[in-house]
Amino acid sequence: MISPTILAPRLADHLPRQRWFGAKDRAIEFVRIIDGEVLVEGWPALYRVEAEVALGDDTARYQLMLGLRPTGQTCEFLTGHEAAVLGEFETDRGQALVYDGLLDPELAVGLLSVVVPHLQAEHVRPVGAEQSNTSLVYDDAVILKVFRRLADGPNPEVEVTEALAEVGFTSVAEPLGAWRHENRDLAFAQRFLAGGTEGWAMALTSLRELYADPTDPAEAGGDFGAEAHRIGEVTADLHIAMAKAFGRAPGNADEWADLMDEQLKRVLTGEMAEGARRLVSRLRELDDAGPAIRVHGDFHLGQVMRTDPGWYVLDFEGEPARPLAERVRATSPLKDVAGMLRSFGYAPAVAMATQDEDVTALARAWEARNRACFLDGYLTRADDAAILPEDPAARSAVLAAFELDKAIYEVAYEQSHRPEWVEIPTRAVAQLVEAGR
Amino acid sequence: MTEIDREDERWYQRAVFYEVSVRSFFDANGDGTGDIQGLIEKLDYLSWLGVDCLWLLPFYSSPLRDGGYDISDYFTILPEYGKLGDAVRLIEEAHKRGIRIIADLVVNHTSDQHPWFAESRQDRDNPKANWYVWSDTDQRYPDARIIFTDTERSNWAWDPERQQYYWHRFFSHQPDLNFDNPEVQEALIGVLRFWLNLGLDGFRLDAVPYLFERDGTICENLKETHAFLKRIRHEVDAAFTGRVLLAEANQWPSDVVDYFGDGDECHMCFNFPLMPRMFMALRRAQRHPITEILAQTPDVPDGCQWGIFLRNHDELTLEMVTDEDRDYMWAEYAKDPRMKLNLGIRRRLAPLVDNDRRVMELFHALLFSLPGSPILYYGDEIGMGDNVFLGDRDGVRTPMQWAPDRNAGFSRADWAQLYSGPIMDPVYGFQALNVEAELRDPSSLLHWIQRMLAVRKRHPLFGVGSFEVLSAENPSVLAFIRELGDDVVLCVNNLSRFAQPVELSLQRFAGRTPIELLGRVPFPRIGELPYLLTLGSYGFYWFQITETALTQ
Repeated sequence: MISPTILAPRLADHLPRQRWFGAKDRAIEFVRIIDGEVLVEGWPALYRVEAEVALGDDTARYQLMLGLRPTGQTCEFLTGHEAAVLGEFETDRGQALVYDGLLDPELAVGLLSVVVPHLQAEHVRPVGAEQSNTSLVYDDAVILKVFRRLADGPNPEVEVTEALAEVGFTSVAEPLGAWRHENRDLAFAQRFLAGGTEGWAMALTSLRELYADPTDPAEAGGDFGAEAHRIGEVTADLHIAMAKAFGRAPGNADEWADLMDEQLKRVLTGEMAEGARRLVSRLRELDDAGPAIRVHGDFHLGQVMRTDPGWYVLDFEGEPARPLAERVRATSPLKDVAGMLRSFGYAPAVAMATQDEDVTALARAWEARNRACFLDGYLTRADDAAILPEDPAARSAVLAAFELDKAIYEVAYEQSHRPEWVEIPTRAVAQLVEAGR
Repeated sequence: MTEIDREDERWYQRAVFYEVSVRSFFDANGDGTGDIQGLIEKLDYLSWLGVDCLWLLPFYSSPLRDGGYDISDYFTILPEYGKLGDAVRLIEEAHKRGIRIIADLVVNHTSDQHPWFAESRQDRDNPKANWYVWSDTDQRYPDARIIFTDTERSNWAWDPERQQYYWHRFFSHQPDLNFDNPEVQEALIGVLRFWLNLGLDGFRLDAVPYLFERDGTICENLKETHAFLKRIRHEVDAAFTGRVLLAEANQWPSDVVDYFGDGDECHMCFNFPLMPRMFMALRRAQRHPITEILAQTPDVPDGCQWGIFLRNHDELTLEMVTDEDRDYMWAEYAKDPRMKLNLGIRRRLAPLVDNDRRVMELFHALLFSLPGSPILYYGDEIGMGDNVFLGDRDGVRTPMQWAPDRNAGFSRADWAQLYSGPIMDPVYGFQALNVEAELRDPSSLLHWIQRMLAVRKRHPLFGVGSFEVLSAENPSVLAFIRELGDDVVLCVNNLSRFAQPVELSLQRFAGRTPIELLGRVPFPRIGELPYLLTLGSYGFYWFQITETALTQ
């Protein structure tokens, strides 16, 4: 539709302005159009493009869904989305405005039946911008994730969700169809969890209630403990299903420790680094660190959703910043447990930021209660499911190491993205080091 | 004034019910106890309020050891309340004002003072020997739970006269009738016919799950019980039109729906679990306790309806919440152990919500808009308080507060003669909190409820429309759509004490204009983008989603 030689340089300008573009801090050397196909003919038109982006020593492949309308049409849906507009183009059908087609309700509705032929919808709405995909919700019944950065091999989101559904794990949104091209996953449709609320929003609601009415969190009106307990149970069920779907292998604690040490060296210095290293080194002394299984990989309160039938687990892509091979590598399930424990530390700190009064004691009490409830819920199901080290001391050591590792990751992340938040994970690192002394 | 329409057979699906105790409402003859004549004199008030049907607590002859739920004669009125002729006049006067009347009827058991029991207990071979459930052992039906756990230790009680045990699911002075005996079935159907012939519009059938007993069961919800209820329905339909049977079955919604049968059993059932969940949702400031129970509530057959309520004469029922929830509810609402009773909490609405007017309004807005016919409890419309120092469930049955005068305007009797003293505390006392004062104050809770009921009456969808919960990222907001034909109402409720924003996906109604139903204020037109609303503390909106283009 559009000549690649015209489109490519304009994409080099367009891509860094997109939230889902992962290499904002690096210079684009050139963009090459690899593939293009017209998904919706006529006006408006939907044009799918795969572009290879050269970034110095490596390249990345991105998927664009371009919308085209004849010049001069008013496009109300683009209001407030100026960054999503590529501008005017000369096309084989005349002069057209080109923009992110997923914002165009007409095109987005048309896309669904291209991806999953038996699905049809009347209405569509975009939901929260993600780092690696763009999600659309159809009639409150179907959610379609359009992957932005493409990779060879199965996308973990598709692979894991389908495998979990296969082994009968019911706490994932039911897969309705994946759209593949050659060996790459392009988009994925699932049942939409209507009426659900993210765990993160519920935790903040609980915290606001507590801060307004200081009391023992267990006695508070907005107590989250029962929910935390249920999240723990679902987490254990998830791990049991993961082991069933992808198998389990003896965990290699030395390898885990090597990775942790590597990160630690980059992020921490001085006494803190010394203490952290001591904690990590305990992994190496373990006779049995428990099995390694496929895990969620980026587990926190924003990845679980409360619906009327119960809690669901979302988003199996792993930490988007890490390479795919690392994201799908089997590791201890306690890595996910550590991720959720850190989230129980983040929520009260974030909720505290909008408070005028000092509520530190309440924040700590909330964290302590919900950590305990979550772990209790987790262990009621995971205890004898052969996914954890037998020895309780080994469990604690592995969990502490992963929690520390996660906190150090957060320190690095906050330093480069949100320096004003760095205090939250830094305090956690100090506490973990202190507790491990 | 409009007379009731007997041809309107499904009136109960759109009606607003008002539960009232004759004893507590108004004393016309000045003997210290409310009476039927007193209720007649207050019908104009109830008509003004917008009530469609009164539910009378038992008014039959009774030794009153369980608030009249221990009937000693089904065919006579408790003498303090009046005579049979008064009841007939009450029905006529109510009907003249378009108000229907249903009455509590206890079918499961009688008082031990009932002549039937007196005869049955004499020996083992008298004509009524098999009218009650007798046994030589108290070990039969061991799986049947004990309902009044505070006072009863067994479902069996020893009768020294007959030298046998008799079965009682409630208090030991309330022996269960034996429905395996066809004579008992006939007798009870005769009772129903008697009252319906006098013009009564139906019954609230007390304690229906327990009518039959079978070995190896928990003796609840048995198929024999359902068969008998179907027979009752058949007998009623055969001889009368426009009457209603409302079942009290305190069970999970999935079990309760059985009491609707295929639309051939009871017309209405109470939705018990909804009410405690509303209180939980409030305390947690999030909607899931409510949406969860609604999601578990099956659709009712055609022609049936749920009865929903905030509070009633019994305690806040906790049987139907899970153990974990129950501990939580106790901790939240009954910090004082006197407030616990059996498995419930005995408080009125106002004290339960710390007398917060905003919460009372929000709760009534929910009561009037969730699926079902709302049932108000007398006095809650003025925000009456309770007296937890009174025994049993009497704390929520104190005299209606009509005026700041002597005895709250309830009675001209001497103070000492009153069946129960009216509330006199500084917050809920009748000197400040009474109907007369609230009638004079246009911003009172009473006026507010009257206005809400008037709005509700204009939209039959609140009674019979479809119900759909909308997705909202904010867990503190409960938004839903009621729809009937072309009429669409959007209800948005903030369960939190803090102001809250919410974005709703209303694309289905793009191009239409929401009009707020209380003030008829048009809101911005709905477009393709999520519809943003902000709600104040415990705020709510009812919007009619109209096609109207509102231009000047």
